[in-house]
Amino acid sequence: MDKLSGAQSELREMDVLAAGISVVHRLHPLCKLLVTVTYIFIVVSFHKYDLSGLIVMVLYPVLMFQAAEIPVRVFFYKLRVVLPLVCAVGLANPFLDRMPLTQIGNLVITGGVVSMLTLMLKGCLALMASFLLVATTPIDMLCGALRKLHVPKVLTALLLLTYRYVGVIMGEASAMSQAYSLRAPGQKGIHISAWGSFLGQLLLRSMDRAQELYSSMELRGFQGEFFYSDIPACRVSSVMFVLVSCSFFACARVVNIAWLLGNLVVR
Amino acid sequence: MIEFQNVSFSYDKKTPVVQDLDLVIKKGETVGLIGANGAGKSTILKLMLGLLYGEGTIIVDGLSVTKANLPMIRKKTGYVLQDSDNQMFMPTVYEDMMFGLRNYGMSREAAEARVDAVLEQLGLQDLKYRHNHKISGGEKRMAAIATVLVMQPEVILMDEPSTALDPFNRRTVIRTIQVLPQTKVIASHDLDMILETCDRVVLLSHGKVVADGDCGMILRDRALLEQNRMELPLCMQMQGV
Amino acid sequence: MHMADALLAPSVAATMYVASGAVAGICVKALKKDEDMAKLPTMAVTAALVFAGQMINYTIPGTGSSGHLCGGMLLSALLGPQAGFLSMVVILAIQCLFFADGGLMALGANCWNMAFYGCFIGYYLIWKPLMHSRLFAGKKNAARVKIALSSVLGCIITLQMGAFSVVLETSASGVTELPVGTFVGIMQPIHLAIGLVEGLITAAVLLFIYEARPELLTELDEGTEKAKSRCSLKTTLAILTAVVVVVGGGLSLFASGNPDGLEWSMFGNSEAGYSENMGLDEEAYGISSKTADAAEAIQEKTAFLPDYAFSGSDSAAGTSVSGLVGSAIVAGAAVLICMLGGFFRRKKSCHG
Repeated sequence: MDKLSGAQSELREMDVLAAGISVVHRLHPLCKLLVTVTYIFIVVSFHKYDLSGLIVMVLYPVLMFQAAEIPVRVFFYKLRVVLPLVCAVGLANPFLDRMPLTQIGNLVITGGVVSMLTLMLKGCLALMASFLLVATTPIDMLCGALRKLHVPKVLTALLLLTYRYVGVIMGEASAMSQAYSLRAPGQKGIHISAWGSFLGQLLLRSMDRAQELYSSMELRGFQGEFFYSDIPACRVSSVMFVLVSCSFFACARVVNIAWLLGNLVVR
Repeated sequence: MIEFQNVSFSYDKKTPVVQDLDLVIKKGETVGLIGANGAGKSTILKLMLGLLYGEGTIIVDGLSVTKANLPMIRKKTGYVLQDSDNQMFMPTVYEDMMFGLRNYGMSREAAEARVDAVLEQLGLQDLKYRHNHKISGGEKRMAAIATVLVMQPEVILMDEPSTALDPFNRRTVIRTIQVLPQTKVIASHDLDMILETCDRVVLLSHGKVVADGDCGMILRDRALLEQNRMELPLCMQMQGV
Repeated sequence: MHMADALLAPSVAATMYVASGAVAGICVKALKKDEDMAKLPTMAVTAALVFAGQMINYTIPGTGSSGHLCGGMLLSALLGPQAGFLSMVVILAIQCLFFADGGLMALGANCWNMAFYGCFIGYYLIWKPLMHSRLFAGKKNAARVKIALSSVLGCIITLQMGAFSVVLETSASGVTELPVGTFVGIMQPIHLAIGLVEGLITAAVLLFIYEARPELLTELDEGTEKAKSRCSLKTTLAILTAVVVVVGGGLSLFASGNPDGLEWSMFGNSEAGYSENMGLDEEAYGISSKTADAAEAIQEKTAFLPDYAFSGSDSAAGTSVSGLVGSAIVAGAAVLICMLGGFFRRKKSCHG
């Protein structure tokens, strides 16, 4: 049941982060979206044994975390959701793929181990990138960027409205579940006798809320168009950001930078 | 300004919520609608806005409430909902205030100037870029009033504007209502607030007008109020009326 | 069942994006035609409700563990498939953006696995035909039984399809060495149990709505009469298939002689539960080298972006030492960046 209040505070935390004023926050939202998507695509496209090539990609999130002044702690907390699944899928690899790849001293490293590590790293990096995007861009800006990409306005308006009401309804649901648990000590969840009525009640109330909400939209002349706050104009710095980061990603994908660096030292 | 002629309404065609209502509200008046739960207060407000349709005629500023006239009527009336969360559906206060203006075809610059003016009038400049889901209940109520005022309505309808507010915020809302020059209709159980803000009170019971007259007279009538599931306003009780 | 970015190859992710995007496009078009945005607030609030509802734990009697609500079926029963799908898309987007549940790139796949099956298959194949069928006609509680039956069946079947898609997508992406057969053998039974519980919870909620405000449910009143002749054969077939799937799945679950299976799947409504088991299931990776070979063949065929530089293991081994050293250098650089960042911030706060 604590899940609800946990989720509420998580949402609040993201809001606070997104309201920051760092260099990264000031970048154009569309540019950030583009870079993030490119980054994730490139990270995921690395070969399953190419751990050393992938490592260079760490630099982007690390740099962004510093520039955006966002505590990494928040991010590690988010990892708990995704990492178990990724690990679980990857954990089978060391047992199934026993082809030796390399040897360090007496330790033989199999393809399975490398591919497992690569998979886990990919999971973390992809998550970091999308986390950074949301932690530095308020949702209305994000919707504005999506509109610029010609995502239908039904979807962006729906996203905006849903985001607005997720907090409200989670608040109601957590109040209800608190009221429930106060009268049902020792129960971990909702008893079967209340399965239907618990969420059903909330649903009925929410439907009334939707009705009210629509009235208030109608009263103010709603005709199907949402007006978003102005997205700041795309400045040179944002364009530079896209160019520099995307070309860095492309380089890292084509050339194994870690290996090159290593060669410089080893030889 | 507002005229109800023989208006009836029911949700299920069996139990009437409003029965044969005749009511005239003059320009510039502040009228309090009081009555027990289910007496029909909110329904009357919604009938005026064309959110509900009943039998009989309702005229708002010379226009009868029909589908065709709705855009004109809604431009002239502002409605402050009981639950501000339902009213403030945009991400920030600023965007919420812009919403109605832009829908009525105002340019961004003109709309923003008006938003700023209203925020200043209510002393809410700090709220402008705040997120609706992060501001407190009192701020939310004031912001909801601001979203209505920014439309420059000639009539303001309010549904329970003082509920769930702390005394300070309630006082702020009362002061705001007192200085607004528009015609106002306020539905509330907060009789002390009604006493402070309204000139005239309409007491409803089961969809019918039971009493209609001077605020001080009706809110002083202990027997009448208690018959209709209400009690004297606290300040009257203290005075020992 | 939320997939992470790392579990998908870009090609697979892009394909799924196109598929889900096409469905979303159709939905947007359909909505524009008939409702003209009037449904928007209801969609938003219902989506928010499902979002919150999925965080409520429902105790499963006799187990001490808990189940959750199935969003797709509930949304399509309340809003219809098109609006339901879009609401589900928005829920998944918020989950992936703000709660790191799923991933930005896997969003397309997640929409397909959870929203498309739940809304479209669940609605057109199960909810609609069942609600219109003559099944239990004349019985007193016909509508109630039909609601319960279709939500349970709907959840089970759509979850099975979703789980199977997860397997296909992951295998096609070539990130796991797990043979498809084994993977399927793990995923399907678990989701059978989860689907059953989700179905029951969804049924309970829909029944409550039916009692309180039946007009909120789609496909309820209209045409019980006219549907008589039209739907009966199709309906019967659909129901029969569904029953076969459920019974067959259930039997194979028990026949596998793995009592743990049911238990951890009951516990493991979170992905972690069953996934852990995946790694530990010793029997699993011993079996069927044939399937493994087949899987590998599929992987090779479906790997749209084969790696050019590191195709052989030799080169990979050769690069390893330099790679290790280089990685260490990169790690050092990362640490340096962090220290510099901290230094500048301290300096700034001093000045401030």
